[in-house]
Amino acid sequence: MVQYRTQVRIIADVLSTARDMNTEGTGVGITALLRRGNMSYSRMTKLLSELVGSGLLTELNGDKISKYMISEKGIQFLAAYHSFEDFAQSFGLRL
Amino acid sequence: MIAEFITLLYSKTLLTAVEMPLQSDMVLIGDLLQFIGVFVSFSIAYVAYRGVRHTDSSALLRLATAFVFLGFGFLVEGLVGLDQLVPFLPLTATAIVVGGLLLETTGYFFLAFSHAVDVLLSKRIGPALMLFPIFTISGAQLQNVLSFFAFYFVLYGVVETIYSYSRTKRPDTLFIALGLSLISAGTFFQWLSLLYQYVGVLSLLQIILQEMGLLILFTPVLGFARRGAKLDGAI
Repeated sequence: MVQYRTQVRIIADVLSTARDMNTEGTGVGITALLRRGNMSYSRMTKLLSELVGSGLLTELNGDKISKYMISEKGIQFLAAYHSFEDFAQSFGLRL
Repeated sequence: MIAEFITLLYSKTLLTAVEMPLQSDMVLIGDLLQFIGVFVSFSIAYVAYRGVRHTDSSALLRLATAFVFLGFGFLVEGLVGLDQLVPFLPLTATAIVVGGLLLETTGYFFLAFSHAVDVLLSKRIGPALMLFPIFTISGAQLQNVLSFFAFYFVLYGVVETIYSYSRTKRPDTLFIALGLSLISAGTFFQWLSLLYQYVGVLSLLQIILQEMGLLILFTPVLGFARRGAKLDGAI
């Protein structure tokens, strides 16, 4: 069933992707984030700049493209998100 | 002689003399139990509010709002009960009783509203939307109407929570549905107790069911505390 995602859910999805796909420790490119995030390029770049601005993601400037890595604050946010998601789901609700 | 004794035994006067203190005690116990509801409601509201601060989630904001209203509703109803312990407190005014019930009903409304928004976000028609409120306002008092709405809102929450369980298969969601069902039964008895005020046991039954339901709703808070999530400063 197709569902609308709330803003916090989209942020959690992007952060999860940045964490899970960063297997080599060199960050994740915007293409991979777009593929997993399921949103337009313009919306993703706007969201990424917001996440970098709030310190949830760290931007690694390479030669040609920027890569993104989840920060310590982002990991804490994801832990908080999953705890509260669990709490909300107990009441039959979604974050 | 025996006939007179039997007549006396079953006379309304004697029954009333025995029942009145018993009924009064039951009401007092019921009112004191409301404070458990206050504690549980504010605990749930606190955890939900922490969630709002950390995740900006509107679902948790609605949940926190619902339980803040419920907590204040139970508080007012419990304070009204204290009138029996402290006789000079003029707390039994109808306006205060109705105010408490209004707060409680608003809390249940926000609980139902949370589920209604969840239905809209998931692009489905919730099964509970088919349940329309069927009530009669035949000169009924405001208390009757509020009690009925409270019952309807909780019932909506029950149906949606069960639907959510069918989707997630999480046992704790089913447990919460059980808790909401008990609260729903409690609010139903509350409504009945207003319609049939001479049946004293209905009020006590309402409180017991409601408190049992609220204690079940407390389990996610315990689970949250047990996990000991160190979340401060996450965002």
